[in-house]
This record gives sequence, C-alpha cells and structure tokens, in this order.
Amino acid sequence: MLQCIFLLSDSGEVMLEKQLTGHRVDRSICDWFWDQSISQGDSFKPVIASPTHYLFQVVQEGITFLACTQVEMPPLMGIEFLCRVADVLSEYLGGLNEDVIKDNFVIVYELLDEMIDNGFPLTTEPNILREMIAPPNIVSKVLSVVTGNSSNVSDTLPGATGSCVPWRAADPKYANNEVYVDLVEEMDAVINRDGVLVKCEIYGEVQVNSHLSGLPDLTLSFANPSILDDVRFHPCVRFRPWESHQLLSFVPPDGEFKLMSYRVKKLKSTPIYVKPQLTSDAGKCRVNVLVGIKNDPGKTIDSITLQFQLPPCILSADLTSNHGTVNILSNKICSWSIGRIPKDKAPSLTGTLVLETELERLHVFPTFRVGFRIMGVALSGLQIDKLDLKTVPNRLYKGFRALTRAGEFEVRS
Amino acid sequence: MFPQFGATAESLSKASTMVFRIGTDAHLYDDPDDVSIAPLLDSKFDSEKCEALKRLLALIAQGFDVSNFFPQVVKNVASQSLEVKKLVYLYLLHYAEKRPNEALLSINCFQKDLGDPNPLVRAWALRTMAGIRLHVIAPLVLVAVGKCARDPSVYVRKCAANALPKLHDLRQEEHTSSIEEIVGILLNDHSPAVVGAAAAAFASVCPYNLSLIGRNYRKLCEILPDVEEWGQIVLIGILLRYVIARHGLVKESIMCSLQCTDSSHSEKNSSDVDFGLVKESRDMSGTCDSEFVNMVSRCYIEGPDEYLSRSSYANRVSFELNGAQFTSGKSNDDVKILLCCTSPLLWSNNSAVVLAAASVHWVMAPKEDVKRIIKPLLFILRSSNASKYVVLCNIQVFAKAMPSLFAPYYEDFFIYSSESYQIKALKLEILSSITIDSSISSIFKEFQDYIRDPDRRFAADTVAAIGQCVQRLPKMTHICVDGLLALIRKEFLTNDFGSGDQEAGVLVQAIMSIKSIIKQDPPSHEKVIIQLVRSLDSIKVPAARAMIIWMVGEYSSLGVIIPRMLTTVLKYLAWCFTSESLETKLQILNTASKVLLGATGEDLWTFKKVFSYLVELAECDLNYDVRDRAHFLKKLQSCNLVSRGPEEGTNGLPEKDLHVVAEYIFGRQRRDVKAESINYRFYLPGSLSQIVLHAAPGYEPLPKPCSLLPDDLNVPEGTCSIKKGAADYGGTDGYGTSSGSSDDEEESASAYGSQRSITGSSGGSRGDDSEFTSEGNDNVDPLIQISDIGNASENENGVSQSSTNLVELMSNRALESWLDEQPGSSNPGISEQSKVRKSSARISIGDVGRRVKPKSYSLLDPANGNGLKVDYSFSSEISSISHLLVCIEVFFKNCSSETVTEITLVDEESNRALDSADQASVVDESSLLSYDNVPTLVPMEEIASLEPGQTTSRILQVRFHHHLLPLKLALFCDGKKLPVKLRPDIGYFVKPLPMDVEVFMDKESHLRGMFEYTRSCTFTDHIEELNKESGDSLLIKDKFLAICESLALKMLSNANLCLVSVDMPVATNLDDASGLRLRFSCEILSSLIPCLITITVEGKCSDPLNLSIKVNCEQTVFGLNLLNRIVNFLVECVLF
Repeated sequence: MLQCIFLLSDSGEVMLEKQLTGHRVDRSICDWFWDQSISQGDSFKPVIASPTHYLFQVVQEGITFLACTQVEMPPLMGIEFLCRVADVLSEYLGGLNEDVIKDNFVIVYELLDEMIDNGFPLTTEPNILREMIAPPNIVSKVLSVVTGNSSNVSDTLPGATGSCVPWRAADPKYANNEVYVDLVEEMDAVINRDGVLVKCEIYGEVQVNSHLSGLPDLTLSFANPSILDDVRFHPCVRFRPWESHQLLSFVPPDGEFKLMSYRVKKLKSTPIYVKPQLTSDAGKCRVNVLVGIKNDPGKTIDSITLQFQLPPCILSADLTSNHGTVNILSNKICSWSIGRIPKDKAPSLTGTLVLETELERLHVFPTFRVGFRIMGVALSGLQIDKLDLKTVPNRLYKGFRALTRAGEFEVRS
Repeated sequence: MFPQFGATAESLSKASTMVFRIGTDAHLYDDPDDVSIAPLLDSKFDSEKCEALKRLLALIAQGFDVSNFFPQVVKNVASQSLEVKKLVYLYLLHYAEKRPNEALLSINCFQKDLGDPNPLVRAWALRTMAGIRLHVIAPLVLVAVGKCARDPSVYVRKCAANALPKLHDLRQEEHTSSIEEIVGILLNDHSPAVVGAAAAAFASVCPYNLSLIGRNYRKLCEILPDVEEWGQIVLIGILLRYVIARHGLVKESIMCSLQCTDSSHSEKNSSDVDFGLVKESRDMSGTCDSEFVNMVSRCYIEGPDEYLSRSSYANRVSFELNGAQFTSGKSNDDVKILLCCTSPLLWSNNSAVVLAAASVHWVMAPKEDVKRIIKPLLFILRSSNASKYVVLCNIQVFAKAMPSLFAPYYEDFFIYSSESYQIKALKLEILSSITIDSSISSIFKEFQDYIRDPDRRFAADTVAAIGQCVQRLPKMTHICVDGLLALIRKEFLTNDFGSGDQEAGVLVQAIMSIKSIIKQDPPSHEKVIIQLVRSLDSIKVPAARAMIIWMVGEYSSLGVIIPRMLTTVLKYLAWCFTSESLETKLQILNTASKVLLGATGEDLWTFKKVFSYLVELAECDLNYDVRDRAHFLKKLQSCNLVSRGPEEGTNGLPEKDLHVVAEYIFGRQRRDVKAESINYRFYLPGSLSQIVLHAAPGYEPLPKPCSLLPDDLNVPEGTCSIKKGAADYGGTDGYGTSSGSSDDEEESASAYGSQRSITGSSGGSRGDDSEFTSEGNDNVDPLIQISDIGNASENENGVSQSSTNLVELMSNRALESWLDEQPGSSNPGISEQSKVRKSSARISIGDVGRRVKPKSYSLLDPANGNGLKVDYSFSSEISSISHLLVCIEVFFKNCSSETVTEITLVDEESNRALDSADQASVVDESSLLSYDNVPTLVPMEEIASLEPGQTTSRILQVRFHHHLLPLKLALFCDGKKLPVKLRPDIGYFVKPLPMDVEVFMDKESHLRGMFEYTRSCTFTDHIEELNKESGDSLLIKDKFLAICESLALKMLSNANLCLVSVDMPVATNLDDASGLRLRFSCEILSSLIPCLITITVEGKCSDPLNLSIKVNCEQTVFGLNLLNRIVNFLVECVLF
C-alpha cells in the first residue's frame, strides 16, 4: 500500500507531502528521485526501486506526483491512483501548475485525505468528492473574503456513498432535464518514409453531460457497433446488455463523465496529407513540407499544426512558410501553426538547415507530428442510433455532438 | 515624478496577481509563520482556528516540524466545526506517532464522535483514531472498529474495514483473532463497497486465511463486478489464490500444458486425457515457447528465488505437479465462475483492474480462451505513459511465453517518436519476439524507419532487434544481412566525420547483429565475412574493428576464399597494429594465433613470421595487458614456432601438450552460449516485483496447488459464530438479489434450523450482525442469558430487535436506535433491567467496611535501608489540597539497633522543571490548566528520629504523573539519599461516589457503547471462606452472603470504591450463584468523572466462579486500565 505522496513542482521543489501510514517517509527521498530523474533523462522509468522505497511517478502538466511504498502492491494501482488524483486536482483547480497547487494547498490536503486512507484508495469518484469538498470557485472565493468564513468541507456525508450507484449524487432536481452526448475522437496515425499509411486508428470517448432529475435509466445504442475494436466502460455501464445486444444501459452520474472509450482500428485514410521532403548535400539540408486536405470530411479542419524536432547536428535553420507562422523554440522544436487550409493555395514550409561543419549530409531525419481538429465529425464513422430514457421526464433535451482531433499523428521523413 | 509612477505600476501589477489569488490560501502557503500561530489556535472563533491550522498545514507541506503545537491543536479536536475537525485530524495524523501522550488526550473526543448521528463524523473519528496508531488504545480501536463494522452507514463500515490494517500494523498478537473475525464479517457484507475494502484488509491482515474466502467464495465472485475498482484489483488476486490453493491449476491452461507433457514423459501410464493434452500441446508447439512457459509457471508457483536456488537441473524436475493437483476448467464450477465474473472486468476503465483480470485469465483460463485478454491489454496501452510502461513489461512476458497470441497485433507495438526511451525499448523487444513470417516484412519496413531516427540509442536497439528477428525467422537472413551491411557502409561514411559515440553504438550493434546471424550458419555467410573484412579499412570504431578481427580468426578456415585472403589480412593487421586501440590489439593477437594454429602448407611460414613480428611489437607495448597477452601467446605457440623457428628456446612443458592446450583454448568446438539467460526471473503478472525484477517485500508466489484441503474449510470452533453468519447469508443474499420468496426456500434448505438462524435471517441482511452480537454476549454478559432462559419473550425479543435492524437500513432513525441499543453491551434496554430487578432480591452487607484491610506494599527493605523499613498502603482518605493528589499512608519502622534520624521523603525530580505537557497522559483538558500548581509530592513532615523498634506513620500526598508508571522518590535518612519507587495503584485514583441504585442505572445507561468495557475472570477466594465454615450447617442464603462478602471485601480492599448494591437472583437452584451482581461506584480523583463497576457472577457456589466485570467510564483509557487492575486483583489469591 502507498505510504506517502509527494507533489513536486517542475523544478523539483517538494510542494506538498502527505503521509499515509505510520511508516513515515522522509522527504529526502525526493532529492534522490530528482537527481535520478535529471541524470537519466528520457530513459527514466516510471516505477523504480530507490534504496529505501519503491517509487511510482506520474507527471502531468509539469507537476510530478510521486508515491512511495515499501511492500509489494500492484504498480498499476499506484499509478492509476496518482493519475486519478491528478485528474481530480486539475478539475478542481482548473488546471495544474505550481501556483495553483500552492494557492489551494488546503483543498489538496483535504482531497487527498478523502481519496486515500491508510494507503488504500477510499473515495475516488469525482461526484462524491465534489459533494464532500466544495471546489473553489469565484463565488466561494469572494464570499470567503467578505465574510471570512471559508469552509469548503461539507458537513454531511454524500448520500451516494451508501447507494448502489455510488457514482451518482442522491436525487438531484433540475427544472430543465438535459443530456448531451459527445463523441470525442483522436486519430493516431503513422505515415512512414515512403509516404505509406502504416497504421491509422481512432481512439474515441463517449462523453456525457447529464443533468437529469431523479434516478434516470438511460440506454444508448449505436447504429454500427460492430466497427468497435475494443471498449472500456465507466463503472455505471451494465455489462450484460452490452454482451448480448451491444447496448449501453446505465444510470448516469450527475454532470460530465466519460461513459466509455473505444478503439476503431485499421482506418484507410487520413483527412489531411503532409508531405515532407528533405534533401541534403554539401553541409546543407533543404526542407520542403506540403500540407493539404486529402479526404474532405465535410467539415472544416482547423487548428492544424505541425511540429518537429530539429536533429541535434543542425547549427542553424531558416524556415519560412507561405501560410501560418513558423517558430523555432529554444529546445530545437520547430512549430508551424497553420490554422485552416486556405482555398486558393496549399500551405508549404520551405527553408534550409545548416549542418555541423564536418557533416556532409544529414543521415537522421525528423518526424513530423501533426495536429488538427474537426468539429462535427467522428472520423471513425461511429454513429449514435438513439438515446432512450426509461421514464421520460417532462422537458427533456437531448443533444449530440462529435469532434475529431489528431492524437499521435506522425509523419516520418 | 517618474519613480513615483513606477512605484504605482509595481503595486498595480502586484494587485493584479493578487486578484487571481484572492480568496485562496496563497498567502498562508507563502508566509505561513508571519503571524504567531499559538494565540490563533486558542481563539474562540472557528475561522481563526482554521487559519492557524491552515498555517500549520502549510508548514507541514513545506517540510517543517511543527509538532510543538501538538497540545494546542489537540484541544481543538472537540470543535463542532467540521472544517476545524478535518484540519485537526490532518495535523494529528501527521504527528500522532511522535507525540503519543498528547495524542491520547484526543481519544475521548473520538469516542464521543463515534456516537455522533452524522456518519461522516463517525467515519472521520474512526479513521483518525485508528490512524494515530498507539498501542495503548489498540483495544479501544478494536472495540470501535467492531462496532463500526455493524454501522448502518456503508461509508462507516468501509472505513472500519480500512482501519483493520492500521490495527494489524501495531502487531499485537492478542488482537489478531478478533481482527480476522471482523474481516470475516465485513467480507460478508451485502454492500459491494464494503466488500472491496474488506478484501484489501484481508490481503494485508490475514492473506493466508483462505478458508475465510472459501466460506463466501461464490458470493464474492458474484459481487465482484459491483465492487469498487480499487477493491476489485485486490479481490481478484485473492480469489485467484483461493482457487489455486483449493483446486489447483487448470489442466487446459497455458500454465499446465507443459507440466502435463513432463509428467507423461516420466510416467507412461498417464491417463488418456493427458495424452490428448500432449497431442494438443504438440500441435501448438509452434505457438508457445515450451521451456519458457514451464519456467514461468514454476516461478509463479514457487517464486523465482526458490525455484532458481535449486541448482541442479535434476532437482528442478523433481518438483513435479502430479495429476491430482490439476483441475479442469470446463468442469470445475469454482474456476468457471471466477473466469466468468472476471471477464467483464476486462472492459474496466481502470487499467489496474484490466491487468488483474487479465492475469487471472492468463493463469487459469483454458488455452483457447486466453486470447480474449489480448485486446483489452493492448487497449490499456493508450493510458498514461507510466501505466503504458507497466503494461508493456507484463505483455513482454506474455508475448515471450506465447508469441502467437500477440503476433497478429504487431501494429500496436509500432513506435511513436514521442514515446520515452524505455517504452520504445520494450516495444522493440516485444516486436522482435512476436514476428512471424507474415508480419516480418512490415516490421522490417518499420525498423528501417527507426534506424534513421534522431535518437541513436534507439537506432542501435533497433539494429539489435533485427538480429533477434533473424534468429527467430531464418528465412529473412539474407535480406537482413544485406540491409545491415548497407547500414554499416553508410555508417562508416558518416562516421569518418566523428559524429559522436552514439553513431559508433549503431555501428557496433550492427556488426554484433551480423555476428550473431553468422554464428547460426557460418558457411552460408562467407561473403558477408569477406565484405566485413574489406570494410576494415574504413571502419574506425575500435569495438567494431575488434569484432571483425575476431571473426577473421574464428572463421579463418571457412570456405575457400577466406583462407586465401588470410595472408593479406594478417599483413594488413600487423601493419596497423601499433596504431590500434587496446581491444583491437588484443584481438589481433588472438586472431593471429588462431590462424597460426589452423594453418598448413606454404602459408604457415608467413603466418609464423607475422605472428613473431606481432608478438615482438606487443612485447614492447605500453599497455601491460597487451604485453602479458603477448608473453602468454608466445609460450603457448612455442611448439609451432620451435619446429622450424630457431629463435625460441626450451620450455617446461612437452611441446605436444602445449599444442593440445593451445588447440583447446583457440579451438572451434565451443559450446553455444544461449543469448537469453535461462535464469530469468518471473513474478506474477501485475505485481511490483515483475517490474523491478526482484521480489519486493511482501511478494508471495501463488499458493501451492491444492494446499487448501476441503477440511480446512470446516470452521474451527472458536469462530463458530461467523460460520453461522455465513450460512445465514445464503438466505440474505437471496433476499438481496432476487425476490423475497426465495428467501424462505433458502432458509429451509439451510442446515441451521435453529431458532437463532430463524431470527437471524428474518432480520434481513442485518440478521447475521445481530446474531453475532448475541452470540458474543454469551461469553461476555452471562446474566442476560440467564434471565433470558425460561423467559417466554426470548424469541419475540430477538425478532423485535432484528426487525428494528431492518428498518435501520432505510431510515435515519437507525442511528439513534443503534446508539441506544449498543450491540456491544447488547443489553436490550431498560425492560431487561427491570426484568432482572423483578426476579432478584437485594441484599445488604453492612459489616464489610470493618473488615476492609488495605494492602500494604514495601517501599524500602531493611536490608537496603540500614535497618529502616518503610511500607506504604493506599489510603481511602481524600486529599484536601488538590484533587490530583492521592493519599498514601507510609509506615516507617526502625529494625536496626541504632536510632535513625532525619527521615524524609522528597520527590527525586522536584528540581526538574515540570513539563506538564510531556507527563500528562490521563488528565483531561480542564485539569491541564491547573496542573502546574500541583507539586508531585506534598512536603512530608520530617521524622526527627526513630528509636530502634519504634514505628511511626505519615500520610503522604502524591501526585502520580501516570497511573501505570512508578514515581521515583528519594528517601533521606541520616543524611543519606536512598532512591525508592512508589508504585501507583489505579484503584486509589478514584474516590467513593455514593449513589442510589436508580442513579447508578441511569448513569450507566448514559455510558454505554464506547464507554463500556468488559472482561471476565475467575474468582476463588470464597471457596476457602466456604470451606472454613463447611462444618456448620450453612444455609444457602449464607453461602451467597459469603460469596458477596468475600467479593466486596476484595474489591474494597484494593480500590477506593463505594458499594452501591448487591443483587441476588431468586434462584431455583440453590447452589447456583449465577446472576449475583455487585455494583460499585467511584469518581476519578483528577477529573471527577464518575466510574461505574458492575460485577456479575456465574457458576456454582462451591466451584470457582466466573466473574464478568464491566466498567462504564467516560475516560476510556482510565476505565480500561482500571478494569485490568480489578481483574488482576480479583484473580490474585489471598494469602491470609
């Protein structure tokens, strides 16, 4: 079981320590950890054995969540828990960074205390946590300044802790009953040096935002569930109906949650093409990258970006584009933000890289990472058939949306 | 003007950052100690307390030690504000172990909170109380946990389950059985949330007590999908262990396929089923690496350390699983249900659950079903980077054991440039172990891309992976080797310009891969060797050169072309010898001697010349390694050189022998060293040990198959009550899941047709609980049982009790009734008491007071004290100075023949500063304040002189710091100082509190639950008393009287109590003293808190009696210690 959790800032400073069991962990372990992480760099493992403890680490938005244990336990449990803590904190505090954690350290402590007891996770359901400990918001902040009373600890136990649907707050009441279902998809693709699409798949999530009174029982069905390669469910989803009829039957949590995630494999095409050309001789390398729409998804593709790491043997780079802006960041990452593709021309990035003096030609080639976003389309082709409520309340509004963005979209050159 | 403006701008920007941080606790974190915290803590406003506590928390967060505020913080534990409470708890848990004495001060508040109607308050109190981990309060926590394990609130029960490991951590042997009992109760809970937490408790408290699982196995399986995700992870592991221990491995599973083969080799008369299996496993021989799987499965069961420690191979085989240790996954229901209930968990959102479920299937599922774990495993690769790493580590083992499972999914292991190096390396390794003919071409395409990756270390790994792939799939050899050669050619082109170590790494790796490919079939790769040798000219990396040179020597007699070019090559090597690096020089020497050994004909002479030239060069080398090697080789090769070369002299060994030695050293018949070490270590999938590759503390391999015999499941007598509860659960379970009608059927099917089980199950899911308590009562409070017997209302009573329990489940009134009932004491209310009163008579023993003789203890032995003997006894007098003082009568007797003068007793520590905080442990807050004024010892009137034989006594007023630890005093006499120790007697830390029986009952009813402690003991004093008078024709009544008198006397002589009442049952059996009840009352001196003692007798008059002593007191620590003291002196034999 976990013995201690540390929160480290991006400079290695220990911002917070929470001892969980009687066996206290000295915070000097963080120094050891930080030294190791600096010396090992990229090849640092997320689970390591220090001289005294086993350490699990999860890094999110620059904040390192470090957990220690001395005994055998499932490492994934530790890691998943840290991820959950990071998610909950980021949801509470509206993002994660050093300041926001320090500013709200009391809430962080209170949350940690509710989330884990004696090194074993206690309450990790965000809905219940939100009822136990109020998230900071503008109103409460102002109120605390005005009245001086700043209690964010609820004095009653959320009813959900005892119910058979522990993810749902007890009996919310809404004047307008609304439920929104979003398909949010990420496209992972690899295009190899020959320009061949090696791998293209969709990782998608069904995100639901439900504001329904009482204890609603929902059924969601897809028009083409057979395309799903594999699925994972929120605990609220009943297994039987899915096994037999591929129906999602569930009592939803209140508010936003991820109902399921799915994977669709072996897609045949990508919405945009990226054609990099690198030719190098005489100590120079000419770069030419073309970007364009390949298969029009019917909706506008926006927020198109292209990033690549300049090889280490490059002295200087001179890159320009006919559309969008090109930036070279300090860590030799070149970032080209295109936005939308204009109708009249194909965006292209051209320029030369100057190699190190003795180097005749470039022999390693960068990989281009592509970003884009398409509103209104689920590229996997997954379609929601219908959403039914067992008992339909008056004034029910159902909404469906879809969004696809690039996940790990890589083009090798 | 400008500076002024600048100042404004600065303050403006400051203000703007302030706006964002307004209302947060930012200022508290930034300057936690810019105000004095202590006064804030004592403030009467909750908001100020909160601020102070937040500041302390900020200091803790920043790593400062603020434990010095402990006493002040603890005081606030009584606050009504939940926020203050929460913050205090956070602080308390952080420091409790450091300041145990002060932590004790908070116990009373926790006890109070445990009775709070708000379940959140109860849960917090329990969590914190268990979390402060003090041995002293462990019994209290145990009682609290036991009580909370039956709380109506699921959340509180869950916290009770979480508290068990905390208790277990204290390692108090005497509590183990009760902790396990509570685990059993909680495992049987109807709420999945509680079961999950109970599973975690089980895993850390009593992981070997698998019989506890056996009782509920089916129910646990069925409830598994509804358990919380974290509980699922643990519960899956427990269920897997149970099934293996109970039924053994599954015959059709991967783990077994090989062991069956082994056993059928050894015993030819194995059954038909086994043969079928053998065939099957041979059919699939291409799909799984048999030796590897065998090793893995043995490691799972025995633990790699044990397995590997058996050094000889023969021994390894000797551990053979016999047929009886297998079960069939198709016919065994327990196995089936486990697999069935874990398979939907493969869809879980929590990757730890998925991995846990997958590992159950990996170990238990029939071979053909294992593939269902593949997709979920691959899907969880798309979670955080950290989990990706862990999952890949596990997949790596799966893939090596059964590559066919993953072979179709090779695309999932393609590498993104954004991944970390560790993940890339793992994916490469998996890719190279799952390649098959159909996938190799696409994988090679990928590899070619990877080689051009800017991360050269990764590129080098890719080259190594190519080598491994070829070893698996010899078909691809030529394509690969060509590719590698092209790479080498390209590499050296760039390498000329020295672009760093990492490039060299790729080159060396490429040559290494080629080397390993050649080794498989040298004759077919002659041309490759030649090409490599040709490229020697351009390759500059020493390690690469050394390797190529080694190959020249190794394959010098291969084919036709190589021997022909040897002379040229050797000449070339000799020519560039001086400019080579160390490792290359050594290899050149080796190669030269190998060539010399194998040489024949006309070349021999050239080789000899070259060799002698090289040796001469080497002998003058700057490096001693090279010089030594040269000397060695010269001696070794002397036979070859001597035959025609005159320059070498004689040597000790016969030439022939030397030749044999040389042949042996450089000969070609060397055994293949397996690329992969057979001594791989495997740990259970999903375990920490598998990731760090050593057994982490607490790692347990799977239990030995079938080690849990069905007999073990028969419950030992001591835990009978649990068994009944479990049996009853059959009924309640049906009640919970299906309609109520099935309840009755189950009930009638149940073997426990007694009245108890009827009442138990009619009470619904809470039935088992109430039953458990009533069962417990039999030991604890015999009176109730006695009065119940022959009472027609028994069943009715039981039913009403359990029906209220049913209501409890739904309503909030539950709590009140629960609090009223106090199942621990189980006295079902006042009606019970009135019943007792009706059926009993009160007797009075007036003359006891006279016979009370306080026990005297020795303070100073005459032998140590120059003939002065000092005894003391606790007096029942009450100090007039302070209520903290205890009066002690001290007797001084001069046993010597000389007069002793100037006798006085002083506090040894009187000169020390009184640190009240450190020494106070039993006193409550109010007394803490007036504490400093009270001295440890009120100065005693000095005894001027004591004649020989004379005796005198003094009354001493002493304040003990702790009611258990002796007080150190110094006795001065004749100007000498003698250290003495005054042992406290908790029996005199109280004063009599006279009261009516009605008042007593009333007070008692307010001090139930947490404030009530019971112990039982045997009492024998009365037997002597009875024997004394046995001659007389004693009336039964008098017998009772004698018992009462001896009991009362014993009590009053050992503690400062007030006898309230003596109740005697109007018994039908005249010799039966059962039901006799004595009540005593007293008041704690220091805090004036009343303390009630009830003694109930059971047994025959003339036999040793069973007493059950009950103490009701608000000061729990005190009450408990008092109870222990009473039991101690009651058991003690009187020495009249």
